Amino acid sequence: MGIFIHKINCISPQQTWGDIDIQTLRAAEENRLYAREPVYDGIPPGILRRMGRAVRMGVGCALPLMKDSSPDGIIIGTSNGGMEDCIKFLNQIMDYEEGMLTPGNFVQSTANATAAQLGLMTANRNYNITHVHRGLAFENALLDAMMWLKENPGHNLLLEGLDEISNYNYNIDYLDGWYKDGNVQNKDLYATETKGTIAGEGAAAFIVNNNREQAIAEVKSVRTIHTNNEADLKSFLRRFLDEQISGEIIDVLVSGENGDSRYAHYYKAVEALLPDSMVVRYKHMFGEFGAGSALALWLACRQGAFPHHSIKRAMPHTAGSILIYNSYKEWQHGFILLKRMDPENS
Amino acid sequence: MSEIVVTGIGVISAVGNNAEENRQALINGKGGISDLSLFETHYAGLRPCGEIKTDTQTLKTSLDANEPEVTRTSLLALYAFLEAISDAGLTQELLSESDTALVGASTVGGMCLTDELYHDANRDSNGSPYLSEYDYASAAIYLQKRFNIGGIVNTINTACSSSANAIMYGARLLKHGFCKRVIAGGADSLAKFTINGFNALHILSPAQCTPFDRDRNGLNLGEGAAFIVLEKEIDAKHKRRYARLTGYGNSNDAFHPSSLSDNGVGPQLAMRQALSVAGLEPDAVDFINAHGTATENNDLVESEAMRQVFGTVPAFMSAKAHTGHTLGAAGALGALYGILGLYHQEVYPAIHFTHPIESTGLVPSEAYRPMSLRNVMANSFGFGGNCSSLIFSAL
Repeated sequence: MGIFIHKINCISPQQTWGDIDIQTLRAAEENRLYAREPVYDGIPPGILRRMGRAVRMGVGCALPLMKDSSPDGIIIGTSNGGMEDCIKFLNQIMDYEEGMLTPGNFVQSTANATAAQLGLMTANRNYNITHVHRGLAFENALLDAMMWLKENPGHNLLLEGLDEISNYNYNIDYLDGWYKDGNVQNKDLYATETKGTIAGEGAAAFIVNNNREQAIAEVKSVRTIHTNNEADLKSFLRRFLDEQISGEIIDVLVSGENGDSRYAHYYKAVEALLPDSMVVRYKHMFGEFGAGSALALWLACRQGAFPHHSIKRAMPHTAGSILIYNSYKEWQHGFILLKRMDPENS
Repeated sequence: MSEIVVTGIGVISAVGNNAEENRQALINGKGGISDLSLFETHYAGLRPCGEIKTDTQTLKTSLDANEPEVTRTSLLALYAFLEAISDAGLTQELLSESDTALVGASTVGGMCLTDELYHDANRDSNGSPYLSEYDYASAAIYLQKRFNIGGIVNTINTACSSSANAIMYGARLLKHGFCKRVIAGGADSLAKFTINGFNALHILSPAQCTPFDRDRNGLNLGEGAAFIVLEKEIDAKHKRRYARLTGYGNSNDAFHPSSLSDNGVGPQLAMRQALSVAGLEPDAVDFINAHGTATENNDLVESEAMRQVFGTVPAFMSAKAHTGHTLGAAGALGALYGILGLYHQEVYPAIHFTHPIESTGLVPSEAYRPMSLRNVMANSFGFGGNCSSLIFSAL
């Protein structure tokens, strides 16, 4: 049995909070899509000032969903947590040659800082965990949530994925060949035929439980595989589809295509296995980062039409069943299968 | 839950390169805290650590791990992983099955390479070989690639309780049928990052640490890795089974980013939840492998929490006095030492303990002794209030 999504919130490089407008595509700066952050009025200024970007976005995205009732658990997926604080502390170590340092950045830099801060700010002493498995951090967090709700029926969880761009992780991934060399507009991301992609960041938070009534969507299954073999990936997906939908079609494929010519073949292979599905892309909106599939899930959960700039392959059917496919750094692949609920009929 | 069993164990720490060496050190009260001789830092000679006295190049050669990018954290993980899979008889063929899962944990990952990371992050060179290895997941992904592990692979970071949560997640994957066998644990190596971080918090002891002692003066950092193999009892009928994993609990103290609340609400909740999952009354626990870092805060709070949960606290000790605090590996090391005690029906002595904390009067186990153990608890508490407890039971 799947789990049901009841509340969603998203902080991203696009206007995904407040008066949501994702039809207008906001542009990247120098191959980076920085998040548009709201005014965080739920966070006391003294605490806010000490937060790094990742923690600030993570806490600021989740808190509004926790206002009415405190969840029975907090499950976060992030590939790096607060990288900025981490390297700030590292720079202190090197610049002061291991002299007398201030521990603030060190404490903030632990990957569990967002989950910890959320627990602390809302006096939430329940299940609290942070998954950090690079490009599958959010998929593992989601699987954790599915298991936890089966073990604890009738409860609510806060599930969130987040990551930040810092100059530091940008530099490291750039040197490692993951970002494009020349300047690329995000609207042209898929037309490029070069290696690398553009960097992104953001947070997407969800309240999930096993109550079908009034739900926005049902997550039916999440599956992951580590491989760089396209044939293995295809047979993995075929088995997954046979098990999960046996013959029915997937209405929409939400594809993590990222403009990296070296690995576009994975996305092409997945599209080819779903010839009747509409294909929607999102990396030109949010950029590439480890927990990016959390934002794909937010996009998939939104009622109404997908933004025109996201549509790669149009189809006449409405979005019922949706498959999110994301591949990260060649080796990690995650599939999330969900069904959008019709609010009229639930 | 009752049918999850431990079929393999593997460990490397400052007190030994395998489970039996670690056990002998525990039996004989032999600690591994020393002045740093391999790891280069300003604090060598000033802050003793649980350093594994095998240099990184020797580890690479002995493990035939000659990829230029492999880090010390990954090498330690590989070392313990190899022992655990061989102990459980997991062949290469089994490892690549889609029902074999791996759950790792790390708080430092490839950031043990502080200097290289500094240059790469600030882009003042063309890049070191380690660009793809700095993150927390690097050790688990290294193992996944090397052994072509076919099932679910994950990495958890809840600071110092990371690998206890890795074991818990692994057990739940088994319980829900997402795998038939899971290798779970964690690894961390010494890093300028953590030595300077804990030092800046003024919780690194300038001398051998003394868990649960009245005059304790902070922790010693350590390095190491531990993995355990979990399977369902029905699938492991013909295997050596060390123990059953019967209970686990995870809670947040929700008090302070880097210290525990006076009453240890989070630790109490984690311990109580583990008891409840195991279906045990507190008096069924015969031994506790405590978190016991030897900081002023942790040991007082953990003592108080144990008193609250157990009334009469069972035999307990902390192996941090032996290995130092191995951070992301600590939960798995603690679990593994608990499993060893349970399997051999013995209790290990605390070392470097002299005076009990006045307000609690608790005295950790004083001498090695064979003892009939039914259930053993292992505690792990971390920054950010992340508290976890595991319970292992005799077969």
